[in-house]
Amino acid sequence: MDKKYGVYICTGCGIGDTLDMEDLVEVPEEEGVNCTTHPFLCSKEGVELIQKDVDEGKVNAMVIGACSRRVNFDVFNFNGCIVERTNLREGVVWPHSREAYPALTEDQKDDEEHFDPIQMKAEDYIKMGMIRVEKVKLPEPFKTETFSRKILVLGGGVTGMSAALDAAKTGYEVTIVEKTDTLGGYAGKLRSQMPVVEPFESLQAPVVESLIQEVQGFSNIEVKTNCEVARIAGQPGEFTVTFKKPGEKIPFDVPFPLPEEMLMDENGKELDAEAAHAKYLEYNEGKNDILQLDPNGLLYGAVVLAAGWRPAVLEGEAYEHLGLNLDNVVTNDEFEMIAAKGKILRPSDGKEAKNVVFIQSPGKDEDDADFEYCGSVTSQVALKQAKYVREDYEDGKAYVIYQHMRTPGLQEYFYKSMQQDDGVFMTKGAVTEVAQQGDGIAVTATNTLLGENLAIKADMVVVAGGMVPVTKDDPVVNLAYRQGPGFRDNDIFGQYADSNYICFPYETQRTGIYAAGSIRRAMTIEESMEDATGAALKAIQCIESSNRGMAVHPRSGDMTYPDFFFQRCTQCKRCTVECPFGALDDDEKGTPNINPTRCRRCGTCMGACPERIITFSDYTIDSIGSQVKAIGVPSEDDYEEPPFRFLALVCENDAFPALDMVGMNRIDYSPNVRFIPVRCLGSVNVIWIKDALAQGMDGVILIGCKHGDDYQCHFMKGSELAEIRVKKIGDALSSLALEEERVAFTEIAIDEYDKLPEIINAFVEKVEDMGPNPFKGF
Amino acid sequence: MTVKYLAQPDLEFIAQIKGLGGDTLKKCYQCATCSVACPIAPEDSPFPRKEMIAASWGLKDKLISNGDIWLCHQCGDCTDLCPRGAAPGDVLAAVRSAAITEYAQPKILANAINDPKKLPWLIGIPAIWFAILAYITMAQADVMTKIFNIFGIAWSHAHEGGDHVIAQANFFSTWFVDLTFVPTATAVVLIFFFSLKRFLNDIHENAVLEGKTDKTTLNYKEFFQALLKVIPTVLKHEKFNECESNKDRATPHMMVLFSFIGLFIVTAIFFIVLYAFQTPGPYSQLNPVKWLANISGVALVIGSGLMIKNRMDNKDQVSTYKDWFILVLIFSLGLTGMLSEMARLAHLQFISYTFYYLHLIAIFNLFAYLPFSKMAHLVYRLTAMTYAEYGNRK
Repeated sequence: MDKKYGVYICTGCGIGDTLDMEDLVEVPEEEGVNCTTHPFLCSKEGVELIQKDVDEGKVNAMVIGACSRRVNFDVFNFNGCIVERTNLREGVVWPHSREAYPALTEDQKDDEEHFDPIQMKAEDYIKMGMIRVEKVKLPEPFKTETFSRKILVLGGGVTGMSAALDAAKTGYEVTIVEKTDTLGGYAGKLRSQMPVVEPFESLQAPVVESLIQEVQGFSNIEVKTNCEVARIAGQPGEFTVTFKKPGEKIPFDVPFPLPEEMLMDENGKELDAEAAHAKYLEYNEGKNDILQLDPNGLLYGAVVLAAGWRPAVLEGEAYEHLGLNLDNVVTNDEFEMIAAKGKILRPSDGKEAKNVVFIQSPGKDEDDADFEYCGSVTSQVALKQAKYVREDYEDGKAYVIYQHMRTPGLQEYFYKSMQQDDGVFMTKGAVTEVAQQGDGIAVTATNTLLGENLAIKADMVVVAGGMVPVTKDDPVVNLAYRQGPGFRDNDIFGQYADSNYICFPYETQRTGIYAAGSIRRAMTIEESMEDATGAALKAIQCIESSNRGMAVHPRSGDMTYPDFFFQRCTQCKRCTVECPFGALDDDEKGTPNINPTRCRRCGTCMGACPERIITFSDYTIDSIGSQVKAIGVPSEDDYEEPPFRFLALVCENDAFPALDMVGMNRIDYSPNVRFIPVRCLGSVNVIWIKDALAQGMDGVILIGCKHGDDYQCHFMKGSELAEIRVKKIGDALSSLALEEERVAFTEIAIDEYDKLPEIINAFVEKVEDMGPNPFKGF
Repeated sequence: MTVKYLAQPDLEFIAQIKGLGGDTLKKCYQCATCSVACPIAPEDSPFPRKEMIAASWGLKDKLISNGDIWLCHQCGDCTDLCPRGAAPGDVLAAVRSAAITEYAQPKILANAINDPKKLPWLIGIPAIWFAILAYITMAQADVMTKIFNIFGIAWSHAHEGGDHVIAQANFFSTWFVDLTFVPTATAVVLIFFFSLKRFLNDIHENAVLEGKTDKTTLNYKEFFQALLKVIPTVLKHEKFNECESNKDRATPHMMVLFSFIGLFIVTAIFFIVLYAFQTPGPYSQLNPVKWLANISGVALVIGSGLMIKNRMDNKDQVSTYKDWFILVLIFSLGLTGMLSEMARLAHLQFISYTFYYLHLIAIFNLFAYLPFSKMAHLVYRLTAMTYAEYGNRK
């Protein structure tokens, strides 16, 4: 592309009143680039002015100095052009006012004593914008060699069937894979399900039968029972899937990473890379490498993971005093199976069980925790099963002893209606003992609503077992990814297949795989069906984005992708290891193999690469590095007391919008800081920091999203990795006789904009106390 | 408190409470707003939160023998503030009603009085009885005089030579009145005695079990002293008035209570004067006893009339058959008495006698059914309040 540059500066919204426009316009003009100003650039006339230049072939790479790029992005949108939005409004004139920084008089302008920090900031931003348009390219979308629009649904339960139906109704071809020999899942074994329609008071027949019939009525839904996935290889749009019979061993079974204990030798020392690889091959003997594609594999575009849950195995301390060894003490799962057969009868002698106690929590200890994997669904199941007792026997009595009774949403009506039942008795309480007493069972509870010590005589006792996500036992998706067959970090989510994104519930850490239903968190049938719709829509979005080379999430529509300059690759594997989404698979030599449709375009690989060979068309080491270098660093040659200069690399997801909000609220902060938005702090390559300090800037601050268990990082690992990298850079700085504190890392949430000025000013003051960068002026 | 309490829910009891106006008992979710709202609940294990769960669990044993249910004066604050639409005030009223039935003997009578279908019998039997006695008085005076003469007792208590004076005794012999009501009253006292004995033991046991008292045994002397302390409280309606929203109800209730006391005094004087001094009624309107009788009668009519009006106006409060039975009864009692007297003074003999006849039926309904009707709260509440005083319930 033959670039033709142009700069357009808006003088509206206070920009022209605050800044010396003549001086500002000189900045591009000195470079020989035409600069146009307009009092209302986002107006029809303003946009037409630019469009005219574009149409006349005068401009195709432009800097628009106006408002933040987060607004008017649809207005300043010129096809086939590189557009850089320089943030003069929210970034310069709104936070910094002339009251705080008076304009210079004519005498002051060249006296080497006075300077105008606002004008300096604006001029730097224009320069930075200009260098960026020079360095970046227009993206060309990535196209896969083959492309499938089929959706694979793992799990033939309510969630799986619902997802398949939703996708099939919009015209997509769907395959349901079910491990057992019938569709229906657990819901198919129930007597009744919780109410789903107004007034939410009576149980209803499970929806499974009608779902199965509906599924059979769709010619574009294929059902594979007695089937599971051996491996899913490739990437969204062209997943190559190998199916097998459950339990079968085939060469295309996915290889598993070595368990941690096998990474040590007999002396407990860590194995070196070669030995570990040899052991890995031995461990996975008979299995083909992940990069070997199954020639008989079937192609799919996206996957919905709806493999569901299994009843918890009740063992361990929490259950010891609950008499689970007694015949008439059963789990809620066992009780459901008894109820499904007919009247509630005691397992010991088949006599009618008219008095049933439902236990919802371990009790005993001070702790009021529920059983593991129990929650709102098990609360509601207890109510439902209490209803069975009342349905079966007019004089039946059902007791529910709980620590928490959770009936979210409209299920509150179900709770209320059960409460109204004369034969249902509920109390909060801690169950201390369940013991055989004559023909019946004695249940003792303490701290109940009825007083200290409560005893109940029962025919049967039902202990709530939790809903364990099957991802606890098995990755299920069996991805042929170098990072492993399952999702990473499920352990921090109790093994639920959930990325735990606050804003993006269906996303997993693997693009193109969308979890739904009880594998994500315990859900009722109703909730699962709704969840299935969400996941089906995500799968469709994935297909309809990948086919055009666009990122799915969260940079939806982004057409860039990482490009490797392989000649210089040292096969260090850092990119493969650090990619939060497992988008890269290295071959046996360690050379990364990119899967662009798996990629979320965060640039973590770019930040990781020590050789700096990874680029995106509009986001490169050089494009940001050049922006850093474009920042003017005044020295003692320029002024008697030159201003300090700081670089802030801010995450564009949370920190950058927060910074805009600071501007909108006209809150001042040090005008000596230059901000560069980055895709993710994970993409920050330490070379930028080194460059900044080498050219005499006094400090660098990285501002990212929160990480940890409750992370808000859109790319999960980005800010965490950045913090590690910043810590490591400390050593390099001290070798240059620079204080480690000149580089700082901080994280804020998007709603904490009010804290941002304080954070920035505190950093600036700290560095100012240290004195200027000794390299200044070299 | 390490004693285990074996919960034995009683589905029939739940149905009974629902039928007696406590149909919201299952709505409670134990937030205890009611106990906080209640102006007279003691600080230590306050009501009605615990009564509500006991009711929703159908724990008859915990409720019937619970003295606390009688401490409630049903102001309705708890009901107004309940976030769940339960009405603890009405539930407690229903439980009290059930407790009266539970302690009253014989059961057949207790059940009949709570059953609207039995009302014709309750009225019809005394109506026939009094009709027979009136016939005998009016038509068979000679025979009766002969019979009475055998024992050397004068048959008629009518005014001497007072043919022109209308006297109820000419229509209905005072002998018959007293021969009907003295045994009835005795039976009532006996029924109450046995009921209260059981009741007092039960509430004591329950209080000990639930830690609501500092007494371990029942000392009747101390209990009697507590009664003396409580009586002024009751007369002044102190507890009643502590329930802020009860102010409107307190005055009519006080009027009725004091008119009953006044009428009791009048009846006692009349009885003594008749039998000890052989001086029969009707008394002159100038007689101070008559003043008391008239004032009490008027107060009874106005008081009970206001209570009926309050109930009709207050749509939030549940009013059951039992409530209407007693209110209408008291109102009719006062009204027929007053009308009978007025007709007598107006020389309308037939009308006066007719009202007197109705008056007698009303009196019978009140007295004979006292231990079974809502009127029994008089003794149960008094006993429970005395026990609370005795047991230092705070």
